[in-house]
Amino acid sequence: MRFGTRILLGSFVSATLLLIGSFFAVQSLVVATVRNGLRSTLRETQLAVARMGSKSEDKSRRVLRVIGESAALKAGLQLMRAEADRSEARLTLEDQLHEICNILTCDFLLMSSPGGAPLAGVLREENRVIPMDLGIGQPPLRGFYSLGPSTYQVTSVPVDQGGENIGILAIGEHIDFSGFGAPVVLSHNGKVVASYLVGIEGWEIDAALKPCGQQPECMVLLHRESYLAMRMNGQYVGDGYSLHSFQNISAALAPVKASLQRVFLLTSLAGLLAALILSVFLSRSMVKPLARLMVHLRKCVTTGMLTELDGQPSPIQEIRELTGSLNRAAVSVREGREKLGLAYLEFVESMANALDARDPYTAGHSRRVSGHACAIGQAMNFPAKDLDEIRIGALLHDIGKIGIADSVLQKPGKLTRAEFALIQEHPGIGRQILAGVNGFQPYLQTVELHHENWDGTGYPKGLRGTETPLPARIVHVVDAYDAMTSDRPYRRGMSPESAVRQIVDNAGTQFDPAVVELFADLPGIRLACQRGALVQSHSSSSMAALAEAVSGSTESNVTHSVEGKNR
Amino acid sequence: MRPRIERQILALFLSLMAVQAADIQGLIVIKHKLTRRSVTAPAGSYQRGRAVELDSAGVDDPLSYERAHVAIYLDGELSSAPSAATIEQRNRAFFPDMVLIPAGSTVSFPNLDVIFHNVFSLSAPKTFDLGNYSRGQTRTVIFPKPGIVFVNCRLHPNMSAVIVVSPNSVATMAGRDGRFVLPGVPPGRHMVVAWHKAAGFFRQSVQVGPGGAANVQFFIPIEEGGRPQSVAQR
Repeated sequence: MRFGTRILLGSFVSATLLLIGSFFAVQSLVVATVRNGLRSTLRETQLAVARMGSKSEDKSRRVLRVIGESAALKAGLQLMRAEADRSEARLTLEDQLHEICNILTCDFLLMSSPGGAPLAGVLREENRVIPMDLGIGQPPLRGFYSLGPSTYQVTSVPVDQGGENIGILAIGEHIDFSGFGAPVVLSHNGKVVASYLVGIEGWEIDAALKPCGQQPECMVLLHRESYLAMRMNGQYVGDGYSLHSFQNISAALAPVKASLQRVFLLTSLAGLLAALILSVFLSRSMVKPLARLMVHLRKCVTTGMLTELDGQPSPIQEIRELTGSLNRAAVSVREGREKLGLAYLEFVESMANALDARDPYTAGHSRRVSGHACAIGQAMNFPAKDLDEIRIGALLHDIGKIGIADSVLQKPGKLTRAEFALIQEHPGIGRQILAGVNGFQPYLQTVELHHENWDGTGYPKGLRGTETPLPARIVHVVDAYDAMTSDRPYRRGMSPESAVRQIVDNAGTQFDPAVVELFADLPGIRLACQRGALVQSHSSSSMAALAEAVSGSTESNVTHSVEGKNR
Repeated sequence: MRPRIERQILALFLSLMAVQAADIQGLIVIKHKLTRRSVTAPAGSYQRGRAVELDSAGVDDPLSYERAHVAIYLDGELSSAPSAATIEQRNRAFFPDMVLIPAGSTVSFPNLDVIFHNVFSLSAPKTFDLGNYSRGQTRTVIFPKPGIVFVNCRLHPNMSAVIVVSPNSVATMAGRDGRFVLPGVPPGRHMVVAWHKAAGFFRQSVQVGPGGAANVQFFIPIEEGGRPQSVAQR
């Protein structure tokens, strides 16, 4: 994973987690508050229902006491006793109750025997008082009673005569649970008989309330909405009946939740956006300088040169330190490299010196050849690297002579054919010596091929024209020149002018005419190339372009051999 | 036994005199309502809530009802012929609610309702209780003594009727217009008695000449100079 991604993820994920966590914390707080509010509404409803229940009970009882003392009603009861087997007797009592109920505008009125068996009753239906079907069951003496679609609150008093109980008179007040703060549900033996919960079937409520048992407060799920159900207690409720008031928590919470979600969505989007921008900015401020360092290092790998980084990539302390370390390392590597190059150069020079020192007549030969070759290279606008190559190649061009016996090498006079053949082996020996040294590969060709002639008559390979690399062709020219101008035990050295003339004469046969032309034009034959010249920068013309230019020059027909002077 | 025989002789004598007897013509004048009446819906039909017209008998003038509920008779020992009357128990009411009979007459009380009724009276001239009886049954009572007998039903305290037992047969109910005629009154001074349930007794002395009619006028209640007598004072 990239550094930037890591920072991005870190800040982003933590911000998201924080938002989600706070959202749920606030939501649970709101839920608890709303639930408490609903609970208090339920309690108020409970109180109101209880008040209504006991009030209506009191009122009914007072009325009943008066009715129960009615002589006519008692006479009716006595008639019932006397004529129990006659339907007219029941009708008479029913008619009496009918009359009373009409006057009282009661909802039902029932006379029972002292044992509780219903004798006659009437009830109000659609604003009409009708006889009650006594087969439907026996209402309780007190509490709720459900009959068909209606629910009554029943209160009863005994009807006595002369200390003897002759009947029980029960009055039922139709109860209406609507208009309370919370919808009310009345169940009888676990079955809903009256429900003010709109849109929910009774059996659904039964099933939901079943696990609640006798709990005073219970959470139920109806139509995938949660309700808080509160059970009401009180003697007015009666046996087998239970009264619950409901509050829809889901509906109450929905608007609060919606606004909460909206607010949180907005703030979290804004917060996440801010976090995103901030983390992008942050990761960029760290990654960008690092990337710059990386690009720089990669470039160093391809070039093989560890260089210093320009400028300060970032104000961040750690990156500044890293850059500083890199720059210090680059400096020390460069210094070490320079020292190594210097030591290597000194070694090469001392090798050349050692070679030259074998023969007093060739003292300084290698250095001079190197100098002239370098001068020509400069004149040809060689880049620094190629200049170095030709300078060192020229310095080492005769190293193979180490492997030639002094008797041959320092022999005064003419060489035999065999001896000359030995001499001719020195470029190959030189190549063999240097091939084993790491880093000397660029000079091998200069050492091996500096005796090849332009017309293919040279040795060891007999290459023609531009088949011989340019540095070798240059060294060939300046080597001949130095040999001709140097003293030998058997002759004195030529004057530079005649040596140059000889070379010019042999341009096109023995020497590359282009190189010769340049050599001839050099301002004096002197050591133009000093060591310091290496660091000078040159124009960009490449060696390949130069070689092409040289190969295209006119060939001159030089036949004169200088081999004898150049051994 | 003796007074009874004497009375019979007197009655015979009076009936002989009746040949020369005259009518007393009279008028009951009632200027304002005496009875507060409320609508009584029919019972037993279980058809409560149906509109009931007040005085569906067709009496548009409430004073007609009052006038028609005034009994007039002569005080004194005059000829008496017992008769029979019927008070039905219908729609949880006695019908008619006022009956005038001479002493010794019989009243039958048939129950025409589907429910039980009870007929009883605690009035001094005749106390009785016919018990509870249902549809189709009829029970009778003889009223030997003159007086006002209020009849009620124990089961239905709303039901009420009144039986005016006059001492003789010279008795009548006023018409709707208040007019009445007491026929066959022997000549002489007589006390004409008018009775209204709410207003009480009113008496006026009338001189009936032989072969001549007499006129009498009752202002009920008496505006000035006297109070009506209560039932007890009779």
